Amino acid sequence: MGVVSRSVGNAFRNKVRSGAVVVILAVAIGLALAMLVANQAVGAKVDSLKASVGNNLTVNPAGSRGGLGGGNPLTTADATKAATVAHLVSVNGTLSVRLSNAAATSGSTGTGTGSSSGDRGGPGGGFGSSGTTSLKSAVDPGVLGQRNNSNGSSSDATGGTTGSTTTRPAFTIPIQATGVSTSTTATGTAINVTGGAQLTDFAASSTQALVGSTLATKNSLKVGSTFTIQDRTMKVTGIFDAGDAFDNNGIYLPLAATQTLTSQAGQLSSLNVVVDTIENVSATQASLTTALGADKVDVTAGSTNLESAITSLGSVQSISLIAFIASLVTAGLIVLLIMIMVVRERRREIGVLKAIGASNRTIGVQFVLEAMVLVVLGTVVGGVVAAFSSNPIVSALVAGNTASTSSAAGPVRGAGGGFGGGGGGGGFTRTRGAFAGADQLIGTISTSIGWQTLVLGVVGILVIAAIGALIPALLTAKVRPIEVLRGE
Amino acid sequence: MLSVKDVVKSFNSGDRTIKPVNGVSFSLEQGTFAAILGKSGSGKSTLLSLLGALDKATSGDVVVDDVNLSTLPDRKLTAYRRDDIGFVFQQYNLIPNLSARENVMLPMEFAGVSRSERTKRAAELLNQVELTEEMHGRLANRLSGGMQQRVAIARALANNPKLILADEPTGNLDDETGELIIALLRQLAHEKKTTILVVTHDQALASQTDRQFRLARGKITEDH
Repeated sequence: MGVVSRSVGNAFRNKVRSGAVVVILAVAIGLALAMLVANQAVGAKVDSLKASVGNNLTVNPAGSRGGLGGGNPLTTADATKAATVAHLVSVNGTLSVRLSNAAATSGSTGTGTGSSSGDRGGPGGGFGSSGTTSLKSAVDPGVLGQRNNSNGSSSDATGGTTGSTTTRPAFTIPIQATGVSTSTTATGTAINVTGGAQLTDFAASSTQALVGSTLATKNSLKVGSTFTIQDRTMKVTGIFDAGDAFDNNGIYLPLAATQTLTSQAGQLSSLNVVVDTIENVSATQASLTTALGADKVDVTAGSTNLESAITSLGSVQSISLIAFIASLVTAGLIVLLIMIMVVRERRREIGVLKAIGASNRTIGVQFVLEAMVLVVLGTVVGGVVAAFSSNPIVSALVAGNTASTSSAAGPVRGAGGGFGGGGGGGGFTRTRGAFAGADQLIGTISTSIGWQTLVLGVVGILVIAAIGALIPALLTAKVRPIEVLRGE
Repeated sequence: MLSVKDVVKSFNSGDRTIKPVNGVSFSLEQGTFAAILGKSGSGKSTLLSLLGALDKATSGDVVVDDVNLSTLPDRKLTAYRRDDIGFVFQQYNLIPNLSARENVMLPMEFAGVSRSERTKRAAELLNQVELTEEMHGRLANRLSGGMQQRVAIARALANNPKLILADEPTGNLDDETGELIIALLRQLAHEKKTTILVVTHDQALASQTDRQFRLARGKITEDH
């Protein structure tokens, strides 16, 4: 009969009371564990949100967004100036151009290729395009395509097909070509190349190109295949998958080559700026606008909603942390009060143990172990409680704390719908990202109990339990052996 | 050898000082079976607590085999209670959720005796106090009063103490059982050369001992 088995035995001397204590402890510990799981899950989500959207700002010419609006293009000088602003990690300029199908263009207008100004406003897919390509769009025009690409025809001097849509040759949607100076998209994320290699030659004379997956299929292109842009023969170095039909209907070209091919030397359609931390995004947005001139550029932060998402998740995180600590303290108090009760109840027995030679330490250890038995049982039952309750608790917490954010994002999202048709441009992905509500950004937070969470939880519980048990154990040291002679 | 010299224990009760033990002196040879007689409130239990190192005297010396308890630190007092003293109480004071055997093993566990040795010695001691084998594994609170007192005596003997202090050991027992317990204690004193000091108000018990002391108003006298 060692001190351990004696402690275990003592824990069950009063089975009803011990059972009740275990149940109460299980609720407190279960809540603590659920809160810890929530805290970790939300923390992980915040990290992934920060990582996925990043600390990016997009600089567009004032009044222009993608292929819509007006104003003057950005220049490489603007990019250089932007790079001097504080808190910037990198500045990447991109040039987005629209390339119309060479065959469709010549069929409808009868003009040759090479004159970008001549293409502007032209019917049959010439709207806003900066050049021609041999590629055929993988996206059918449909109603949106008709609407977006034929609006220039009525005012076009050369348009002989107005009013007779049946005889007008079928046009194709222009191909979105993005000139990049690194292997990243206009929003600063890496291009997801699924076959072949990234761009390596960024010179003006480069013939490298990355082709979207659906566009490649439509035009039967493989890595190594060739196609033409204006009069240059380009070679497919890789096929990329951007994950959506619009982007997969595009190509990536070296920036300098794009500028040369479309006669837009030194011009940029947007700048993608990476800020050092998410906290500096707003300040940097303001300083960038000042540096480049508010009348010249629009600086947009895709993380406005992200910030509110992170803020609301952050409050969930702190609520869950507070609840975790509060539940642990509650569990500790339960242990403390029960053990104080037990010590008072067994004063005489403690006196007996001391009278027959038990040291204060032996008795203290026995009482701490007894408390631990209750805590371990409470933890086991509480773990089961947490396993079933943590997911609903996290959902409830996140829903409760992001409701205001999503309603605020509502009208903005409506405005975002208007952009859908225009699409395109350096900031298109960013634009859509910006108008997605915080709740969408948050998405679903799945809880899982990792070993770190488990270790943290168990250590927390044991520490609290030890403190809860230690005070009563110290009280036993104060019990004098003479208690044994005291009458009942 | 137990010797008590001019021991005083005083308590402050309000503005009065109570002295339940007031200048007690006596000595007992090793192996003596002695009784201290006295009425309720005569200071018997207080004197017993001083002898058993359960409490400290206000003044005077309690010397057991040339060791003065009054000067020992608390840690040494614990060791003294464990190794040199055995207690037998009127209320038996066994640990109710432990078996008879486990109760007897307890002081040996505190003294660091190995488990196998403890088990062996506990069985021997229980046999010695005439507790049948089937009772050894029974929980203490499932034993009769007489049996519990036997277990208590076996527990008191566990670490081969020099002195056994018994506080009204027959107080809760019927006459017949009480006499069996007295006979057991006397036998132990003579066979094992253990000094046994019984505190009682039971004249019949006292008459069986080698020496009898009388405690009244904190003063002790020996009957001859």
